[in-house]
Amino acid sequence: MANSLRLYLTCIRNTLEAAMCLQNFPCQEVERHNKPEVELKTSPELLLKPILICRNEAEKCLIETSINSLRISLKVKQADELENILTKKFLRFLSMRAEAFQVLRRKPVQGYDLSFLITNYHCEEMQKHKLIDFIVQFMEASFHPLHLVLWSVVNYFKYYAFLWTY
Amino acid sequence: MAAVAVHQFAPCITCHAWSPDRSMVAFCPNNSEVHIYKLSEDKWEQAHILQKHDQIVSGIDWSSRANRIVTVSHDRNSYVWNYEGSEWVPTLVILRLNRAALCVQWSPQENKFAVGSGAKTVCICYYEQENNWWVSKLIRKRHNSSVTSVAWHPNNILLATTSTDGKCRVFSTFIKGVDTRDSKAGSSSDSKFGEQILQLDLSFSWAFGVNWSPSGNTLAYVGHSSTIYFVDDVGPSPLAQNVAFRDLPLRDVLFISEKVVIGVGFDCNPMVFAADESGMWSFVRFLGERKTSSTGPKYGSQFSEAFGKLYGQSKHSINNDGIDNSRQRGGVHENCITCIVPLGEAGSSTITRFSTSGLDGKVVIWDLESQQDLLEYL
Repeated sequence: MANSLRLYLTCIRNTLEAAMCLQNFPCQEVERHNKPEVELKTSPELLLKPILICRNEAEKCLIETSINSLRISLKVKQADELENILTKKFLRFLSMRAEAFQVLRRKPVQGYDLSFLITNYHCEEMQKHKLIDFIVQFMEASFHPLHLVLWSVVNYFKYYAFLWTY
Repeated sequence: MAAVAVHQFAPCITCHAWSPDRSMVAFCPNNSEVHIYKLSEDKWEQAHILQKHDQIVSGIDWSSRANRIVTVSHDRNSYVWNYEGSEWVPTLVILRLNRAALCVQWSPQENKFAVGSGAKTVCICYYEQENNWWVSKLIRKRHNSSVTSVAWHPNNILLATTSTDGKCRVFSTFIKGVDTRDSKAGSSSDSKFGEQILQLDLSFSWAFGVNWSPSGNTLAYVGHSSTIYFVDDVGPSPLAQNVAFRDLPLRDVLFISEKVVIGVGFDCNPMVFAADESGMWSFVRFLGERKTSSTGPKYGSQFSEAFGKLYGQSKHSINNDGIDNSRQRGGVHENCITCIVPLGEAGSSTITRFSTSGLDGKVVIWDLESQQDLLEYL
């Protein structure tokens, strides 16, 4: 399991290194404006082909690039209802504090759990390899706690079910 | 080492240009101003600040004979600055653009300059003496997307442009009253203004950074798919070659001789391309040293602590050893190199010194005198 996680994250890292070649690009549609083209999508020649990296049916990562911005959308594995609720709460907690993260998008893209939006301004202020490290380590870190919390919750209920029945 | 001098001028530099005597450098520190620094006794001092634009200045060019600076900006304006007394005075340019201007270059005879814009047009500007301003003629019809880079042919009439629609085009910019019809120039002087001589559809992705060789025989431009295109005998039957490389895409190119091209881009390291005797171009090597440091996982450890606190676990170490961290590319520049400018005399066919500036705010001067293996190619 750890092996496939490592392969998955290496694949994402390599794709991000190629995709994060962003530059300042003023809007072609509206004068004096500068918007992330991946969100706008009005000029198809400025968008590159989106890449979908799937670890299995439940976990995937969509990377969409344009000339000045990059959007990474993640879907984490949710085995049952409980995990579903936990994931939603945890990710909603993070998304509400998106300003602190700077690269996080407030609402995930339709069909995914979490989205990042990286623009050329982030690449100018921060170093590109550090940004990629951040995203990959975020993904890695987010895989652990949910499972552990789930296990601890399940064990809690088992224990108290045991206590109540005997 | 090929990098002779490194100067950190600002947190981030958009573009730069040198004065004719190479003692002053003008650059845009990623805002609406142009800073001019002067080298006096081995120290760089801020000499002037040119403040007229409202948005980021995307292109600066300093003409070598007339000592004029032209600046273009995302606010659709352009100014030509003349040095009068001890101040730089702007002259109005009637650009007639309705979108941002992206790039600018003085023509070889410095009576015209070309501006590429996000309005899918190219403006050729020339001086009108009666009103003391610069007027423009637009090349409107041909481009399908923003014009990212312009380059003048040595004959002062042909102009090559690259665009985000992936194509490189060559136009004639003959203007009556400004250019003279030269009978020796042949077909190029017979064309009307704005006539497209050639359209090169070699790239699948956006095209940037076009440059002519010193004789005007070869054209080079870069595509975002990590390829560089060389076109010989630009005319009715051009010969095109493309060189694909493994690394990140380039942003700008410079011919330092007929057979050697330097490309700069997202790898933060200049790349040298050379042609052999048969005319086949290939990648030679990187100019700077490549760093392979793997920096410590600072973000990772903060996260593991944060998660530990959130879920009340005392210690949960996240194993980072299995996954390699991204290595920092390039040695001298720490972020993407956006601009490369020659530092030789204007019009010379071989240059050994050039400067690069990037998003890390550094201007680096490179000299190939110490690189024996590359001097052979020149």
